[in-house]
Amino acid sequence: MALEIRHISRTFTGSRSETLRDISLTIEDGEFICIVGPSGCGKSTLLNIIAGLDTASDGELFLNGNPITGPGSDRVVMFQEHALYPWLNVMDNVKFGMKLAGLPKEEQAARAEHYLKMVQLWDFRHYKIHEISGGMKQRTALARALCLDSPVLLMDEPFSALDKQTTNKLRSDLEHIWEETRKTILFVTHSVEEAVFLADRIVVLSDNPGCVRDVFPVDLPRPRQIDSEDFLKVRHQILSCVEREVQKFAKEEYDRG
Amino acid sequence: MQKKNTIAAKLNNLLFYIALILIWQGVYYWGTAIAGLWKPYALPNPLGVVESLKKLAVTGVLFQATAYSLRRALIGFLLSILIGTVLGLVIAASDYFNRNLKPLLTGIQSLPSVCWVPFAILWFGLDESAILFVVVIGSTFSVSLAIENAIRTVPPLYIKAARTMGASHLQLYRDVIFPAALPGFLAGLKQSWSFAWRALMSGEVMSAYVGLGYTLMAGRDIADINQVTAVMLIIILVGILIDRLVFSNLEHRILKQRGLV
Ligand SMILES: Nc1ncnc2c1ncn2[C@@H]1O[C@H](COP(=O)(O)OP(=O)(O)OP(=O)(O)O)[C@@H](O)[C@H]1O
Ligand SMILES: [Mg+2]
Repeated sequence: MALEIRHISRTFTGSRSETLRDISLTIEDGEFICIVGPSGCGKSTLLNIIAGLDTASDGELFLNGNPITGPGSDRVVMFQEHALYPWLNVMDNVKFGMKLAGLPKEEQAARAEHYLKMVQLWDFRHYKIHEISGGMKQRTALARALCLDSPVLLMDEPFSALDKQTTNKLRSDLEHIWEETRKTILFVTHSVEEAVFLADRIVVLSDNPGCVRDVFPVDLPRPRQIDSEDFLKVRHQILSCVEREVQKFAKEEYDRG
Repeated sequence: MQKKNTIAAKLNNLLFYIALILIWQGVYYWGTAIAGLWKPYALPNPLGVVESLKKLAVTGVLFQATAYSLRRALIGFLLSILIGTVLGLVIAASDYFNRNLKPLLTGIQSLPSVCWVPFAILWFGLDESAILFVVVIGSTFSVSLAIENAIRTVPPLYIKAARTMGASHLQLYRDVIFPAALPGFLAGLKQSWSFAWRALMSGEVMSAYVGLGYTLMAGRDIADINQVTAVMLIIILVGILIDRLVFSNLEHRILKQRGLV
């Protein structure tokens, strides 16, 4: 019952076609949902609408039965770009949301330490944002998002700029956190492997207009082995679905041009 | 390496100005003593300017005038920052005022500040407050436009991120928009300062109060073109010095702190 998306459409002013058309999804409390689809199909747009940063042209959204009318700290977002504040150091960036919420100082310090250690940035806590690498920025943003302990976490390709090892590490970390806290997570990714590794259900969006092409439940036991036979089978199944979408899109582009 | 380069560049600069002054003096000497093209008092010359500076310094006029002018400029500019910030926040925060008031402010700001002198005299008389009025009106709108521009160019992602973390309206301004807009605002303030300084001179040349503008006109009254030039140089130098020491310095520090330089 947690997050209900009912017939969401979005047309940007000035654009010829709909970016999202009639998206409906019901996401249960504590579910881990991955959203995949071709680039430009509206994944970020959908996430922004759920976050309350953008409004749908049509349709309704409910969180635990309450309509979503704007952004709130019950739905923290981790953006595609890091969105850290250059006037604060790593530590203060991580504490930023907790300060807004007025958490007690000790609590802020304890949580910041916990998550900074988890993303292996404790030693860099005094660094300025421009003094750390792109991957470290993304990890700082992850720590900042997790600190708020929101029931819903919206993540927009958070690991796409990271190297393989870091990505793998953070993926398992995220899975652990999810298993511990049972947050509801909506995770946009372009990596089908990542989706199969993390998701309870995978939503494949099609392009132009963006609508739900298919929803695949992933019933593999956790932690998942990315080279196990079952894993590869599911991955293959979803990959071919996504690839059909990408090819369809490429063909349309080709036909038009 | 870096340091060597800047020293070399500074030396280069210095040589250029020394050459310029030498040429100036040469042309002056040639024009007056050799070719007889103009009278010695018709054009300034470096030695004469130095002589005037010395005279102004010895009598103390130079320091007194500079101090009075600086005091007026700083009081006026602080007032401008206060009023300008409030106005700037209004046009930044409200779409209505942004659409309607901002064009008006931009228009008024394009008016040379000397155009406000008649108003100043009519309202305040030939008074100290008339000069202050010209300074304030000459730079306030520039401050407002600087604030508005700095706030408008804050990356939207900063604001989005804060909103999804539950920032209230007040927190959004205090914790995100103001700090993010600070470098842009300081850059704008530099320009506002130059407006304030120019406006001050417009006000001072028409008044009879101690100040650089008055000393400038006093040079005209005794037909001492070297004194006029000397005071002009001081006006340029003080304007630049304040810019360097206060605004550029602050701006540089903040940009450096954020890794932007
Ligand atoms: N503010 C906007 N105004 C107009 N069009 C927009 C706006 N934001 C997004 N779009 C359009 O909507 C479509 C979907 O964009 P979106 O960013 O949601 O894609 P995406 O699926 O997240 O792509 P990617 O995987 O590359 O991040 C694009 O065609 C984009 O041009
Ligand atoms: Mg996107």
